[in-house]
Amino acid sequence: MPEQYAIEMRGITKTFGSVVANNNINLNLRQGEILALLGENGSGKTTLMNMLSGIYAPDAGQILVDGQPVTISSPEDSKRLGIGMVHQHFKLVDVFSAADNIWMGREKPGFALKRQRYDEIEQMSKKFGFDIDPKKKVRNMAVSEKQTLEIIKVLYYGAKVIILDEPTAVLTVQEIEKLFSVLRRMKEAGHSIIIITHKLNEVMDISDRVAILRKGEYITTVNTAETNEQELTEWMVGRKIDLNIDRPVVEKTRPLLEIRDLTIKNDEGATAIDKVSFYIRGGEILGVAGIAGCGQKELCEAIAGLRPVQSGLMIHKGDNIVGLPPKAILEKGISMSFIPEDRLGMGLAPSLSITDNMILKNYADARGLFVDRKSGRADALRVIEELEVVTPSTETPVRRLSGGNVQKVLLGREIKAGPNVIVTAYPVRGLDINSSYAIYDILNQQKKDGVGILFVGEDLDVMLALCDKIMVLCHGRVMGVVHAHKTSKEELGLMMTGALDLTDKHEDKPAGIARDTNITAEHLESAREEEN
Amino acid sequence: MSFHVVKREACPLWKKACFYLLAVLAALTLGGLLLLAMGVNPLAYYSRMFTMGMVGNKIAYKAFENYLKVFVPLALTSVALSLAFKMRFWNIGGEGQFIMGAIAAATVALKLGSSLPNAVTLILMCLAAMLAAGLYGVFVAALKVKFGTNETLMTLMLNYVALYILAFLGDRKADWNFFLQAESVRPVFQSFADVAAFPKIMLGKFGLNLCVLLTFAVGAVIFVYLKYTKQGYEISVVGDSAGTAHYAGMKVNTIVLRTVFLSACLIGLAAAFKVGTAGVLSTAITDDVGWTGIIVAWLSQLNTAVIFVVSALISMLHYGSVAAAASFSRVDSSFANMLQGVILFLVLTADFFIRFRIVRTQKGGKDNGNG
Repeated sequence: MPEQYAIEMRGITKTFGSVVANNNINLNLRQGEILALLGENGSGKTTLMNMLSGIYAPDAGQILVDGQPVTISSPEDSKRLGIGMVHQHFKLVDVFSAADNIWMGREKPGFALKRQRYDEIEQMSKKFGFDIDPKKKVRNMAVSEKQTLEIIKVLYYGAKVIILDEPTAVLTVQEIEKLFSVLRRMKEAGHSIIIITHKLNEVMDISDRVAILRKGEYITTVNTAETNEQELTEWMVGRKIDLNIDRPVVEKTRPLLEIRDLTIKNDEGATAIDKVSFYIRGGEILGVAGIAGCGQKELCEAIAGLRPVQSGLMIHKGDNIVGLPPKAILEKGISMSFIPEDRLGMGLAPSLSITDNMILKNYADARGLFVDRKSGRADALRVIEELEVVTPSTETPVRRLSGGNVQKVLLGREIKAGPNVIVTAYPVRGLDINSSYAIYDILNQQKKDGVGILFVGEDLDVMLALCDKIMVLCHGRVMGVVHAHKTSKEELGLMMTGALDLTDKHEDKPAGIARDTNITAEHLESAREEEN
Repeated sequence: MSFHVVKREACPLWKKACFYLLAVLAALTLGGLLLLAMGVNPLAYYSRMFTMGMVGNKIAYKAFENYLKVFVPLALTSVALSLAFKMRFWNIGGEGQFIMGAIAAATVALKLGSSLPNAVTLILMCLAAMLAAGLYGVFVAALKVKFGTNETLMTLMLNYVALYILAFLGDRKADWNFFLQAESVRPVFQSFADVAAFPKIMLGKFGLNLCVLLTFAVGAVIFVYLKYTKQGYEISVVGDSAGTAHYAGMKVNTIVLRTVFLSACLIGLAAAFKVGTAGVLSTAITDDVGWTGIIVAWLSQLNTAVIFVVSALISMLHYGSVAAAASFSRVDSSFANMLQGVILFLVLTADFFIRFRIVRTQKGGKDNGNG
């Protein structure tokens, strides 16, 4: 008798237009195992899982749950079959409490909301060892709490099979550990789990087996104990690849951009960046690490002149740039590129062509009334060629490109302008290994050319390998600046949560102030006057 | 057997055109069924409608002149609205801006028309109408920029404010009210056709109104403006992503105010053209172009050249149904409104089929290979 699987997918095919997202995929999940689903971006992992959770219907193929063929045509069907998915972008109502977010999905929620729902949900989360306040509103929750809530929600509906789509992308090292212990406990309780990720160390850490997809094709499934990271990468990418990130040593210049006692408010008027001091030299990459929403966005926006500064100095080559309009800051050679979660929100106009996006920052320099698209097109061609952007033409709307190519277009435009300071936030957000390495190479090349780079990142492994120094932010405050080759992920993790403060490590040197600073007493005097 | 919807990669132009043509034909068929139910021969009705009563008419050139009077305000208003829509500013206030423009133009004609040469009066009428409509529009843009108000609601409500001001002027007999005929006991709008009328270029018996040429000229300028100028580029960027525009150093608020002012100005110009050919105000002066213009702009997907084609067709529908009503007394001119609605609905359906196609779900798949 063949083994009975919790889930079995046979010959699943799904196309979007002429794009084949999944081609004849076969996948099975054993009872009570953790299966890692590994693949680059665009390899079809999420599409495949969305067919289990009822968001898409397969064009061809069969799905079996506990050996029985089933048709999943809606998320309701999937729920009834005991399949629950925790999506990458949480599906929660911000203004509702934790309990109500779970309650509203019930088959029979009842006519009136009763107080006992809080108790019921609290008891149930205790049972699985979760620590959550059922009355807390989602909008007041940290990312990790929201994720926990999503998992509780799935368990509440009695899911036996749980799918997690890149659950670790938004968590700190310590939070990931916590999540993994929860997953192991769930496995012991008999749940079967599929976890989507492209972080190899996590795959090795948590999974029993690994299934690999590449460009919509099913490659293989292996036992985790019998493989290693190098082998998995080769399956995933399809060829041998060097996993090391270069960190060229470059002679550093005097500080290009110095930030002193900078305070910025966020959109709600709360302090987002609190008396932060740091500096960037030419020829170095300064990483900024921190849990999402710790003031990274506000800091980037302030440097680009998009957000008013409450107090403090931003000195670029000896000139204060606080209060200058975005245009003037651009002209000084400070480039800012911020890749938000949706990857298109800031820096690019998604419906416009690559050419039109190339001229975004310098269209006004053309003489006369008209836009100079000719040089824009030439620039577009150059960026497409140099950065190997895959696109049908220079006139293709940016939103039609894949994520990696969008980000190359954005970085390409920024570099083309010949900046001396690059502020880049999440430049590899959501990119696969190949595209990410292409971006790292671009940044390293800029560093060799003497550009100062502020790199706001998410992946600590990457930051440890790429950056020269790493500054850690926690709730808008600097927890210290450490040398990347002297620190560890654990140390950074502790600093990110605020448990470790290294700002006073060097007694002889105040934190965030360069010895050869360009900031003069005059600057400080004028800043003080402005405050009073 | 089950079906599902799949996204289309790209749709060639001829295929798109076919889909739209099919949609219009389907709409006409539906209209035809309705006509049959009313006991009217659809073919006879449609042929009357689409020839706009010009065939077998001794003064057909007159009919065409009148058709152009419907076409000009609609085309110009649609072009104006497309400017704002391109920036994702939902100007639903075409009606109100048109009325304000019309009142301003009529004021100039009535107050100054008798003392100034015709050409000067006409130019002043255009300028006054543009200013009045422009200010009426930019007021809403200023509120949006300053306080973040919703422009859809504001422009919509201001339509009724303008409409009731016009109704008040047309109803209130008083010494100050120079809009009404002084000698009439009943309130009747004062005509100014003798002192302010756009000249016609005579081509045989047919008189081509100067407004028609001006409308095409404005259309050409706006086409170039949107497509090739810096300001046109700014409009696309702000419309696509205001955050990106701000990031690129654009003065977003200035661009919004400027564009809305321009959009409303052109609607004012349309009003001046209308008033300057009609020679008299009326409470129905707008002919609903503020509303119909929205439909035209969207049917044309904000493409200036296409707007002219679509306006020509929609005007044909409206003017033709009036002409056909003369011979088919059972079908009044609201039939055109119904047909217009059905066309819009079906063109949107065609849009769906241009973007997606429907395929049959296949069963099958091979034995499980992994594990």
